[in-house]
Amino acid sequence: MIQLKNLFKWYNVGGTRSFVLKDVSLDIAEGDFISIMGPSGSGKSTLLNIIGMLDEPDEGQYIFMGENVLEMKAKKRTQLYQSHIGYVFQAYHLLDELTVYENIETPLIYKDISSKERKAIVADMLDRFGIVGKKDLFPAQLSGGQQQIVGIARALAGSPKLLLADEPTGNLNSKQGEEIMDLFKQLNDDGVTIIQVTHSEKNAEYGKRVVNMLDGQLK
Amino acid sequence: MIGNNLKIAWRNMANNKLYSIIKIGGFAFSIAICILIVLYIRHETSYDKMYPDMDRVFRLIVSAPDGDKVRQTFAFPAPAAKTLQEEIPSVELAGRILPNTLFGAGSNLFTVNGHAENYLDKGFVYVDQSILEIFPLPVIQGQLSHALDKPNSIVITKSRAQKYFKGNAVGQTIYLNNNKNVVYNITAVIDDAPNNSSLYGYDYFISLAGEPFYPGEQNNWGATNYITYVKLRENTDIANAQRSISKNYIQDHYILLNKKNGMKISPEIMQSTVLLQNALDMHLRSKNISEYGTATQYQGDIKMVWVFAGIAFFILLIACINFINLSTANAATRAKEIGIRKTIGSNRSTLIMQFMTEAICYSLISLLIGLLLAFLLLPLFNNLANKALFIPWSVGYFVPALILSMLIIGTLAGLYPALYLSGFQPINALKSKSVTNPKSSLLRNGLVIFQFSTSIILMISALIANQQISFMLNKDIGFNKDQVIVLRGINGIASQVRELKNELKAIPSVSDVSISDYLPVQLEGAKRNGNLFWAKGKEDLELGEGGQFWNIDESYLTTFGLKLIAGRNFDPHIASDSTGAIVNKRMIADLGIKGNPIGAQITNGMTWTIIGVVDDFIFESMKDEGYYPLCMTLANSTSMLSIKTKSTDMAKTLADINTVWNKFSPNQKIDYNFLDAGFADLYQDVQRTKNIFGCFAFVAIFVAALGLFGLATYVTQQRTKEIGVRKVLGASSVRLLKLLSGDFIKLVFVALIIATPVAWWAMNQWLTDFNYRIEINWFYFALAGISAILVAFGTISYQTWKVIRANPVNSLRDE
Repeated sequence: MIQLKNLFKWYNVGGTRSFVLKDVSLDIAEGDFISIMGPSGSGKSTLLNIIGMLDEPDEGQYIFMGENVLEMKAKKRTQLYQSHIGYVFQAYHLLDELTVYENIETPLIYKDISSKERKAIVADMLDRFGIVGKKDLFPAQLSGGQQQIVGIARALAGSPKLLLADEPTGNLNSKQGEEIMDLFKQLNDDGVTIIQVTHSEKNAEYGKRVVNMLDGQLK
Repeated sequence: MIGNNLKIAWRNMANNKLYSIIKIGGFAFSIAICILIVLYIRHETSYDKMYPDMDRVFRLIVSAPDGDKVRQTFAFPAPAAKTLQEEIPSVELAGRILPNTLFGAGSNLFTVNGHAENYLDKGFVYVDQSILEIFPLPVIQGQLSHALDKPNSIVITKSRAQKYFKGNAVGQTIYLNNNKNVVYNITAVIDDAPNNSSLYGYDYFISLAGEPFYPGEQNNWGATNYITYVKLRENTDIANAQRSISKNYIQDHYILLNKKNGMKISPEIMQSTVLLQNALDMHLRSKNISEYGTATQYQGDIKMVWVFAGIAFFILLIACINFINLSTANAATRAKEIGIRKTIGSNRSTLIMQFMTEAICYSLISLLIGLLLAFLLLPLFNNLANKALFIPWSVGYFVPALILSMLIIGTLAGLYPALYLSGFQPINALKSKSVTNPKSSLLRNGLVIFQFSTSIILMISALIANQQISFMLNKDIGFNKDQVIVLRGINGIASQVRELKNELKAIPSVSDVSISDYLPVQLEGAKRNGNLFWAKGKEDLELGEGGQFWNIDESYLTTFGLKLIAGRNFDPHIASDSTGAIVNKRMIADLGIKGNPIGAQITNGMTWTIIGVVDDFIFESMKDEGYYPLCMTLANSTSMLSIKTKSTDMAKTLADINTVWNKFSPNQKIDYNFLDAGFADLYQDVQRTKNIFGCFAFVAIFVAALGLFGLATYVTQQRTKEIGVRKVLGASSVRLLKLLSGDFIKLVFVALIIATPVAWWAMNQWLTDFNYRIEINWFYFALAGISAILVAFGTISYQTWKVIRANPVNSLRDE
């Protein structure tokens, strides 16, 4: 599904290059569940952002489902992104001024899905994650775990093939964290490819494969 | 999508109440001011447009060289109109207006159908029948055609017909000033002239067809008292018509006939020409034309219209800048939202659409509130600008035009923030890294400087205008205008006026009483009489000096406190004083009388022996020279009476005066004025200018302060962490306040530096309109600067204190 070849990313500090990613190559198959681990500053998030098309490498090649992402026009990339990728954040990043229902609906609006269809999809999501009763609440009225569930529901609303998660349990207590990880496992069983960045050994174990990073390189 | 955008726009507004209020409030306030100014300009430019064929109606102007300047007047001799109509084929109609108070125009006493009651009213004017045809007003009663053909016919307006005749006026008669020998017949009632008509203020149109004002007056080419209008035939070449009218008037008649009468013709007259001023230009483009006291209404000035348009534009620009400033300043709080939206699949154009929707919502809400504000402020503005403006709801294009302009303005103001905000990199935005670049802060600072410069310029202008007006009102004008009460309309009891004077003088708090219609202040009804004077014996050698010729009585000098510097006052008991004259110093100088002036003789056709000389005093507007040669003789002019009082209890004095008045004139209401109030009225337009600039300055500084508030919000947000670190390191609050405020105050300083030369130049230009003017005082620049700095400091301290007092632990934990 994803082929990363010789990715480099650096910042110029003074006269010297400070590498964030150094010759990273990685293949990810459809249906995989990968946990990227490593200490702070090792480049895990940068790698995830590049995979998520939010960031670009300075050098290297990125093939997503057979297409060269880095040579794509912005519009095409947005399309590809909209239809295949969902993002889950450590800080949930829900839109504060929108209700649970509207948060889940927003990506569908961006995908130009008709309002009737949107209703069906959002209803389905609310049902699936057991948050029907919360649909008219605003994020501030929810607990962290509940917010993250909304975040996941929103990421999955567009039925992506790939779910990217940046420390999805980082702001949660252990019980809430477990629930989320169980959810991920289940999603993976249903066929969604998952890449998560995590500090936690325990969370990493939910995945099928662990990738370790140190100083911008895969170990 | 639109519905969704609207929903989000609404929630954003509701969530950031303070921010939304500032944004909408500033915008709405500016829109209100712009609407008012546009209404004002619309009115100013609408003069005389209600009349048909105005493209071929012209007022005649004589243009003559005067030193290195050109002097323009619209005074023409009586026979000019008739002659032009007869002799110039392209003239379809010609007509005259005579508004000169000397001939009985202006204020008059009148009696209805010989009843006992006398009424004093103003708005009397002499016109030709053709004037009513050139400037037709709807006829309410009677026939307009031939209404003024017969001598002593009079046409009055609807409001007067209702007031004095209960609507049924045609066929009724009036006497003027108790003169029962002349009966005026009301032949028609017309609608009141609208306030944007050149006929506005006239309510009684008296026919000029009657007896001449003095024998031979109607054929006298030497006396110029008439304002003359022509209506050209259709498809006439105006330049050609102007040439032939000019030649006909100047060469064929004026010069020829005056030569025949033995008058000398100056080289200035040889070079003078007649110009045709289009009727639509009369209101706004007559600033340079001498009026000779004939103006009945406020004269506009195209320069002021441009200044107003400029101010409206700048205020709107400031509001747009504010909008941009506040929107981009709010970026930090919007950054996260933008980041999220981008990561869940929004592309840039969708975001731009969202922000544009928001901007347009803001502008439309501002429009609604602005319109409401304009509506509420209109009476105040009317008062300020001396107008009767109204919001033209019924005009079909008004509301659509407003909405369209707000859509355009909203789009313009929203475009930059939309492009700017939608361009954020999602990753940076989410990590709340700095999403702004230093370039945009330069832009923002520039915008603040611009706003404050504009405000400071307006502030300085208002301050200087204020200084000029108080300078004029307090200047030593050479006579005493305080505590002088002027009674008008005393010609109703002209035969008893001496007795009236004596009884008034007997009131203990009255120190002096004088009977004369020639007042040092041109109150409504006060007369002026321009004559040419020569030193006796030089009539054939020189061209003569223009001067005033007044009738006064023996207590005039004491009542007005004029300073006699040579000779003596009039004494009615000395028979020869009836040919004596008291002149001002200027007359002596201009006529070149050497040695002791007492006993010297001067002539204006009649010969006068100088018995006294008074010091020069200012009896005309200080915008011009204020005075010129003056000759005063002892003669009756009995429609006005001036009372100099010494009491501080004005109410009691007035009551005493009223008692005396009622004894003499029980059928006529007393009509009095204070001389000093009349004097202040002369400078009403300056006062208005000052007030209007003051208001604009207030609006500008208010809106600019809102903008600064936005900027302060932004910058302090950006520096929250820095302040936290500094506090942890032990910085004191005062030090932090200095650090945060310093940058803003610097901006205001720059604005002051930019504003100073502009304001200096503009106000210097403005002051050239005044012959008696102040020198610009640097104090006002300092005052405006300090005010701006105080306003700026006050505005930003809310934000800076909030940051300074915050617990640093909170700002540092964000990592």
